[in-house]
Amino acid sequence: MEPRRDLMKSSSDSLLLSLLEHQPMYGYRIVKELEERSQGYFKFKEGTLYPALHRLEKSGLITGRWQALPNRRQRRYYYITSKGLAKLATEKSQWQDFLEAVRLILEPRPASP
Amino acid sequence: MTPELVQYLENIKYRSRLGPPDETGVMSEIEAHIEDEVQELRASGLTEDEAMQVCLGQMGGAGLIARRIYEAYSQGSWTQVLLASMPHLLFGLLFVLNWWHYAGWLTLVLLLTLATTVYGWWHGKPAWVFSWLGYVLLPIIILGLLLLYLPNVWSLLTLLIYLPTAMWWLLRLIVQTTKKDWLFSSLMLLPLPIIIGWFLAISPAGKFNETSFQRLNSFAPWIGLSFIALALTIAVFIRLRQRSLRIGLLAASGLLTLTLVVYYTAGRLDTLTFLGLVLVMWGVLLVPPLLERYVRDNGRKFALRQSAPSHKYNLYWEDNIEGAGQRKR
Repeated sequence: MEPRRDLMKSSSDSLLLSLLEHQPMYGYRIVKELEERSQGYFKFKEGTLYPALHRLEKSGLITGRWQALPNRRQRRYYYITSKGLAKLATEKSQWQDFLEAVRLILEPRPASP
Repeated sequence: MTPELVQYLENIKYRSRLGPPDETGVMSEIEAHIEDEVQELRASGLTEDEAMQVCLGQMGGAGLIARRIYEAYSQGSWTQVLLASMPHLLFGLLFVLNWWHYAGWLTLVLLLTLATTVYGWWHGKPAWVFSWLGYVLLPIIILGLLLLYLPNVWSLLTLLIYLPTAMWWLLRLIVQTTKKDWLFSSLMLLPLPIIIGWFLAISPAGKFNETSFQRLNSFAPWIGLSFIALALTIAVFIRLRQRSLRIGLLAASGLLTLTLVVYYTAGRLDTLTFLGLVLVMWGVLLVPPLLERYVRDNGRKFALRQSAPSHKYNLYWEDNIEGAGQRKR
């Protein structure tokens, strides 16, 4: 099933920050990682990733650095900042509360006798 | 690099309207992404053409990417808001506080305008410089008006030299600004119809006399308010991310301010003059995009012909870029 656009839009920052939480990544790797980890659920127009990354960078949540590869090519790796980590922690907690609340509604526990 | 990819990247570059350092960074990243993707697709057994087709499909339309890039970069900081609305505020205060009587204040504001414009122009032409640039045109208009006071033959002779020179300089300035982004040309010219409106209300014959100064005195608070309204417009403009909203804001604000000018001049501007001013306002908003298209098309045509003079490339150009060839090869 395709993810709803509004859901995708509201969660894209958290998803990107989450991916960068444990290791820096470059754009192409982020797209593949997102697709793999979500088992193909999150699949979007790949070119729109860069404006999203640059928006996060301008907000100070991530920072990008060019790194040269042995084959003379260059890649821009993105690192999460401490501000980004703090934001991610808040968002994770908000998402968990939200998901728990939705689960309680969608899957009500049978009333105890 | 295939011609299809060249055109795709060129479209993103053209529509995202970034300054040189940001543009290089963003385009290099997108290019590197496409290279990685094509390499992986080719490894899975696709031909180069097939891989490129699939890759560009997965990347998304150039227009969509460019729009998102524009939105990521367009919003100015609060410092930029202050700097961009400052010239309108200064000119507004000159009239609201009746400082326009004093040559000292006038000279100071004009010198500050000139110095700030020159500084901004030589330091990367940031968005805020274009609202200052509009006011640099004022001394040119004032000088043109002063020439009318020369004896008849001299007035005609100097105007014959002055007018083409001033027009050439103005056009050059507009072309340079439009090369960056046509919206900045509109931003720069926005006060023009409002200044013309006030000028016609104060001195319809084009010459200043005692009555004109009396009228200027009585209209001064409203003149000031119209400039302050422009300052507010520019502040919102700098903070907005979406291009369509920015265009809408300039159009709505220009029209509203002109209506206020007509209202406050209490019948001194008739319907025909108002319509003429509205036409000038639409010119301010419609001519720059047309000029930009002309300048960019010519620039791209020249650059592509210089970089790829091969027969194959020229046919590609004719078919896909000039749009003249709807023909299929």
